Amino acid sequence: MLVSLKWLKDYVDIELTAEELAHELTMAGLEVDEIKAIRPQFSGVVVAKILAVKPHPSADRLSLCNVSDGKENYPVVCGAKNIAAGDIVPLAKVGAVIPGGYIIKSSVLRGEKSDGMLCSEAELEVGDDASGIMLLPSDLPLGMPLETALNIGDTVFNVGVTPNRSDCLSMIGIAREVAAITAKKMKQSSVKVKESSEDINSLTSVKIIDADACPRYTARMIKNVQIGESPIWMKTRLEAAGLRAINNIVDVTNFVMLEMGQPLHAFDFRFLEEGRIFVRKSKENEEFISLDGKSRTLPANTLLICDGVKPVAIGGIMGGLNSEVKEDTQVVFLESAYFNPTSIRRSARKLAMPTDAAYRFERGIDPEGVVKALNRAAQLIADLSGGSICKNYIDEYPENISTVQDIPLRLDRIRQVIGMKIGAKDVVRILRSIGMVLKQDGKGRYLVTPPTCRVDILREIDLIEEVIRLYSYDRVPVTLPAIAVTEMAIIPRLDLEEKIRQLLIGSGYTEIVNYSFGIPVAADHLCLPENDERRHLVRIKNPLGEDLSAMRTTMIYGLLETAKKNANNGSFDLSIFEIGRIFLSRKAGELPEEKNILAGLLTGKMTDDLWGSRKTIDFYTMKGCLENIFFDLKFNNCRYNSTVVEPFLHPGKSCGIYLDDRQIGFLGEVHPDVLEKIGLKYNAYVFEINLDILVSAYIGRSITYQEISKYPAVMRDAAFVIPDTMEADKMLNIILGQKEDLLENVSIFDVYTGKEISEGTKSLGLRLSYRAPDRTLTDLEINTVHDRIVQNTVNLTGAKIRGE
Amino acid sequence: MISDLQQLEESALAELETAKTEDQFLVVRTKYIGRKGLLTGLLRNIAQVPDAEKPLFGKLCNELKNLLNTKIEEALQRQAIRKKEDVLLKEKIDVTLPGSVIKCGRIHPVIQVRREICAIFASFGFSVVEGPEIELDYYNFEALNIPKDHPARDMQDTFYIEDNIVLRTHTSPVQVRIMEKIQPPLRILSPGKVYRRDSDVSHTPMFNQIEGLLVDKGVSFGDLKGILTAFLKNIFGEGTTLRFRPSFFPFTEPSAEVDIRCVMCGGRGCRVCGQSGWLEILGSGMVDPAVFQNVNYDSEEYSGFAFGLGLERIAMLKYGISDIRLFFENDIRFLKQF
Repeated sequence: MLVSLKWLKDYVDIELTAEELAHELTMAGLEVDEIKAIRPQFSGVVVAKILAVKPHPSADRLSLCNVSDGKENYPVVCGAKNIAAGDIVPLAKVGAVIPGGYIIKSSVLRGEKSDGMLCSEAELEVGDDASGIMLLPSDLPLGMPLETALNIGDTVFNVGVTPNRSDCLSMIGIAREVAAITAKKMKQSSVKVKESSEDINSLTSVKIIDADACPRYTARMIKNVQIGESPIWMKTRLEAAGLRAINNIVDVTNFVMLEMGQPLHAFDFRFLEEGRIFVRKSKENEEFISLDGKSRTLPANTLLICDGVKPVAIGGIMGGLNSEVKEDTQVVFLESAYFNPTSIRRSARKLAMPTDAAYRFERGIDPEGVVKALNRAAQLIADLSGGSICKNYIDEYPENISTVQDIPLRLDRIRQVIGMKIGAKDVVRILRSIGMVLKQDGKGRYLVTPPTCRVDILREIDLIEEVIRLYSYDRVPVTLPAIAVTEMAIIPRLDLEEKIRQLLIGSGYTEIVNYSFGIPVAADHLCLPENDERRHLVRIKNPLGEDLSAMRTTMIYGLLETAKKNANNGSFDLSIFEIGRIFLSRKAGELPEEKNILAGLLTGKMTDDLWGSRKTIDFYTMKGCLENIFFDLKFNNCRYNSTVVEPFLHPGKSCGIYLDDRQIGFLGEVHPDVLEKIGLKYNAYVFEINLDILVSAYIGRSITYQEISKYPAVMRDAAFVIPDTMEADKMLNIILGQKEDLLENVSIFDVYTGKEISEGTKSLGLRLSYRAPDRTLTDLEINTVHDRIVQNTVNLTGAKIRGE
Repeated sequence: MISDLQQLEESALAELETAKTEDQFLVVRTKYIGRKGLLTGLLRNIAQVPDAEKPLFGKLCNELKNLLNTKIEEALQRQAIRKKEDVLLKEKIDVTLPGSVIKCGRIHPVIQVRREICAIFASFGFSVVEGPEIELDYYNFEALNIPKDHPARDMQDTFYIEDNIVLRTHTSPVQVRIMEKIQPPLRILSPGKVYRRDSDVSHTPMFNQIEGLLVDKGVSFGDLKGILTAFLKNIFGEGTTLRFRPSFFPFTEPSAEVDIRCVMCGGRGCRVCGQSGWLEILGSGMVDPAVFQNVNYDSEEYSGFAFGLGLERIAMLKYGISDIRLFFENDIRFLKQF
């Protein structure tokens, strides 16, 4: 909210500088985001009196004025017609600067000397009137700088008022805070309403149908008003608060709203059919044109202010075009009401009309401020428009608006919450400074009644907050809680994630974080079949855009997009990974399933190998990295199965990753069609692993030391010629499956196709390592076992021994 | 003869002095103590020495022989060592060329900050807890004292999945879920992604938050100040100046916003701190009794405090980053810097 310092000073004396006051407000919970100085757009302009006006001898449209600033007289040539001797006007003297940066110089106009310029409101940017010279009140001292005379120049604070402090959505509200903080008294002002003899009740009536939404409706009538511009002082105030001046009636309603926090509405009485007001809720699909000229279809249960026939305002939100105050309005029906905060909030949100009035009503206004504001506004309207206020006011108050009284407060409880003792005297002083009424209720106990404007104070804790807030948070001593040592729970998956993160960065992968939502067509781009669970999208009802409208069901798409963005920036070599969640929708009304996923992508070259000669990557580069991680994490039951193929992966260069028989993820080269769809030029390899499954195998693993043999191992090689399509894993399983005690390990040392090997087959070179725990093996022993294994393998697989 | 011997010694030593190469030392050895060497020759002619001088002559001859032998051996050894070193020196490489290794990747800067903060609070005895990122309205709002149709909902612009299901706008719902299950005392930290419908230089629709909660008997606002002061000094340095100022969160009361002196300008006022000299770092407060009531904690017996902070904001301040969106663009040139 924009708060004018000058305006505040109408209600409380302020001796602090603007910066000091901003600091004090901030430290009391009213954060000042910005301090803005408003300066006049002119200088060197003074109050002057026209002593004489005579026609210019050689120009019909100009006149020659003799003007005095109280000390000297100046000849001024002027083109305006609205001036006469005796008028008090603004004089821009030689050297003065007027808006636009123009400097006034002594000049000769058609042979006549002119030492200055008489100015209009528009020329000084103090008003819109450009029709003639601005006429000033006759009691202003001559020579006074115009900015002083017009009281221009101010400091405006932008105050962030938190949603609980509806009482601070007004100048008086802020002033009350300032008074409490600086230990000053509020300047008292009471409104005296000068009423005519005509009784309002003889002219109109108000009937509330839906009292739950409108518990109180008050009104006054002002007759014989003259619509016109508001005086400059009011325009300046409104502008400082960020509102535009409209006319002397509307401006008053805005001014009093800003001053007291009570939104008001003025109707032109002649448009209120049958001359009466009904307050009711809307039926389905009622149409209404609001003040801003927009036609709106109202949702059911929107509170409407109606005349005898039709709606004339959306209650608490905006008036209607059909009843607004116009240039020829003569009778004003002024409304000041209390609307139910929840009802207003629902309607304002449904209608998307967060107006200044709705903002205040939905936060809760002072139920006892309704009539005060009504009277203040009525009198101001009468003062500014020359109207007369009818006798009495209407006060329909069918439903009691609950206010809180006698909240118990224990000094002891204050001490417990804050951690220090604040004396009874201080507590009483602080609470009284913000208008609370205290009754002693036994030793160290009080019953506290907050002022009706403090709708946020309902409980003891609310009072305690007020005490500590105004006592100052700074004065609370810093302590540390004395608490028992408790066992810290550790989430195993987070522990696993940290280990994996460390291993992956050691393998050259950089961590990325993508948005959890993305484009719904990702599923199409990844060629997912119709029955794939990753098509069960969780959709956002109000996304920031279509491309951010579905929660991701795989991390792969985000990685590919990241690769593309980087390629666009010239970074083609990428090793990246991400740890995060994917979301799969379940039944309506149920929370979606969230899975914790690790995913990675490799494309381009592995950087920083030997100088200039970077290593090309392939399927095995990425697989090796994963194997290494599983090795470190002691998952020795990892398997890779090529029969499981993701639709977005190369069917010949991809596989499922298994822990025993359970699939935990996949790995492979991205399908060329998918690369094309996404717009990636180079091969990319990706993997995805479900951490929730992985962690189940991670928990409770233990390491048991294996005795190291003192005896040497002996190697024997064998090369098997097998069909191209046969996987190495199968051969290893067949060999290890023979469960020969002396066979310690089998490793692959060569895979060869080409010369000497017939088409459709490959040679798989295996190194078998033999060892006994208790003795050195003899050649005879080794050869016997080795030959047996080779022979069995040949028998079981139909493989040939290479070279035989 | 003895004088011959002295002469021999002088010339032999002189020659050794000038010898440089292995060959030259070997020549000296052959010349003097080789089989046909000069000293060997003298010794061979010992018969010509008068008897009385013979013992002395023999002794002197042997001493000289030993001396020359030792000197030459030492010299040869030195030569051998130097020769080896010469070979190694010829293998000299350019040590300024970069090492050949796969360069380490980097951890995302926000995750680095998360790790750091979790580690600090782990040292205060806080355990990490988790909850769903897609939440029921009840946990995200109502249980935290933010009823439907309450203006406090405006503080967080929300993404909706269904009327009753939202993308969590803070990690605070986790505290409710934990309190429903576990009785105090409680010290928990809940890091994670949160979502708000907002996008500009200082807002992204997803960001990371950490929320902490401590509940026990007799926990006070002073304790809140104590723990958060210790934390902020830990992460921003011992010399950090901070202030606590009143604020409003529906789930805490009293509530406090915590500011630190601007790390960019030291408090003089700059663009980063909006000329105020202070930076908002975290929100905090004593848990509101209404929240305790929702999880059946007795607020007369237990009290506690909660706090929450945005990780991106901390990372931005730590690393001097001015656009929050950079964290999620994942430009490798950005990520490699951390």
